[in-house]
Amino acid sequence: MTATVSHTRLRVLFALFASASLLLSTRLAYWQTVGRADLLSRATDQVHSDLAVAAQRGVIRDRSGAVLATTVDLRSLYAIPAQMKDDAGNETRSAVAVALAPILREKVEVLRAAFDSGAEWLFVRRRLPEETAARIAALHLAGLGFEMEPKRLYPNGAVGAQVLGFVNDDGLGQYGVEGRYDDALAGTPGRLAVARDPANRELALGLRTAVPAKNGDELWLTIDLAVQNAVERELAAVVDREKAAGGAVVVLDPKDGAVIAIASSPTYDPARVGTANAEALRNRAISWTYEPGSTMKAITIAAALDRGVVTPSTSYQDVGYAVIGGRTLCNAQCKVYGPTTVTQILARSQNAGAVFVAGKLGASDLNSYLQAFGFGQRTGVDLAAETGGIVRPLAEWYPVDLGTISFGQGLSITPLQLAAAYAAIANGGTLYRPYVVTGRRAADGEHRTAPVPVRRVISEETGATLRTMLTTTVDNGIANAAALKGYSVAGKTGTAQIPSDEGRYVDDAYISSFAGFVPASDPRMVVVVVLEKPQSKLLGTVPAMNTFKAIATDALRYGRVQPDRP
Amino acid sequence: MIVACFLLVLLYLAQATAVSAAGYEAQRLAAQRDEVRRQNALLAIESARLDSPARVETEAQRLGLVRAATIRVVGPEAVAATR
Repeated sequence: MTATVSHTRLRVLFALFASASLLLSTRLAYWQTVGRADLLSRATDQVHSDLAVAAQRGVIRDRSGAVLATTVDLRSLYAIPAQMKDDAGNETRSAVAVALAPILREKVEVLRAAFDSGAEWLFVRRRLPEETAARIAALHLAGLGFEMEPKRLYPNGAVGAQVLGFVNDDGLGQYGVEGRYDDALAGTPGRLAVARDPANRELALGLRTAVPAKNGDELWLTIDLAVQNAVERELAAVVDREKAAGGAVVVLDPKDGAVIAIASSPTYDPARVGTANAEALRNRAISWTYEPGSTMKAITIAAALDRGVVTPSTSYQDVGYAVIGGRTLCNAQCKVYGPTTVTQILARSQNAGAVFVAGKLGASDLNSYLQAFGFGQRTGVDLAAETGGIVRPLAEWYPVDLGTISFGQGLSITPLQLAAAYAAIANGGTLYRPYVVTGRRAADGEHRTAPVPVRRVISEETGATLRTMLTTTVDNGIANAAALKGYSVAGKTGTAQIPSDEGRYVDDAYISSFAGFVPASDPRMVVVVVLEKPQSKLLGTVPAMNTFKAIATDALRYGRVQPDRP
Repeated sequence: MIVACFLLVLLYLAQATAVSAAGYEAQRLAAQRDEVRRQNALLAIESARLDSPARVETEAQRLGLVRAATIRVVGPEAVAATR
């Protein structure tokens, strides 16, 4: 029997096929023309990856090449909870949490809660220590993986933290050298565009566009790690012994202003910067100001000697006080010394004597010399967050200010400014800009930092005279506790009151300091020690001098400096 | 003619496969190099940590070592005189 298909059916069938073919052809034509770019883009996206290539942050080294800060990739542990299953397909989140907890020193419930949080992908711990990462990797737990992330490491722990600064979680340098030289250290990220196979491996035959990352510069500091360590050890010890609120130490090379060591207390560990309070992050050597007290008498006398209005043997009759601007300014305990030379004013730290010298000099000249020595302005040290202190303009001085400023009251300075000023006395009169970075190694070669002489402040002769006077102050005067066996020491103590917010001085609390250099005959280092509110109070200069001695002893031994005395 | 074309295509495929394989191998070696460099950097950090004056001091104290009370410095003149 032969089946017969009606012509109508055939026509309908043909029409259907023809319509379908037309639709398909139209769609095909659309994708080949109008939609081509979109399709091509989608296909390309599946095989191409375009990633930023991180630049390696530059290494920071001390003057002898010891590593102070470096960056290394550490493994960060991530989890994909949905993949936490055993071979039989059973969920293993609890087992993974139990296995990880003791290694990560975390509670099982905390890990389990993280896995059950609903996140498809999460970091369990970032930048793990290598041993920890290796222990976890050895467990071969399903649903866990590692991703490399750069971590800034400081192999000397907290030593140098204040000068180095730190790098935050966003990779930005903060404080210290890390903050000041962030642009140079960070480098420039590159780019890598490649075709990848389904296993995420790069294809040899395919697109490859690479713009290499430019790694950060390597920085060499003027800091001497051994001296820095001694400075931080001694500062921590004296702050602890004296139950002081804080302290700072600066060690400078007077010949060119290189910062050999700089320390501040309280301090912090850059590896645990999240736990540090704001006060610990502040480098008191550059970001904190105080009334210096009698260490400024050396500056006043330097100015007067340089102006030629006094000589070391110029004398006056000390009656225990001086009257200036209608105010009476006393010596410590209002002690009366009788006939006194300028050398003795420094050696005994007589306030009335400093007023006498300042009176000879005049307010205008004293103000000019304070400016010339760099007070009231930033030193320009290449560290982040430096402050300039306050020296009021001459027009704002009351008559009594000439007297009080002559012995270090009524102005505020930083420990670094004082160190730079004493360095000028030590080196024969030239104020250098303190600096911390001595060289930079970049892709285009090495760049050395040239010391910057800011200005000549006093003459060679004045410098030499003052060195002798300051040596007398240590040998036979108020700073005798700073004397070192085998070395001549020049220096001056300072005890200052602390202004309160109400404009009065705080009762029974002082800032004690010592500024000196050694060997006085050919100064190799200037050391400034400042203690805030030591429990020794008015006798706080003694622990400051002891700290100076301990630091100088270590630094002189380490630097193999020849003794200049029998 | 057909055989020649077939051989040419075969040769091309063999070469493409070899290049791909070499690419994968190069990638594996680069990853290995990066890991060795990373391990080297970790060792350098550990070395710096061990050399740290603070650690050396702590270790010296643990061993009962004390600071020298005096250090005799011999000047160049004294050295010259002994020769």
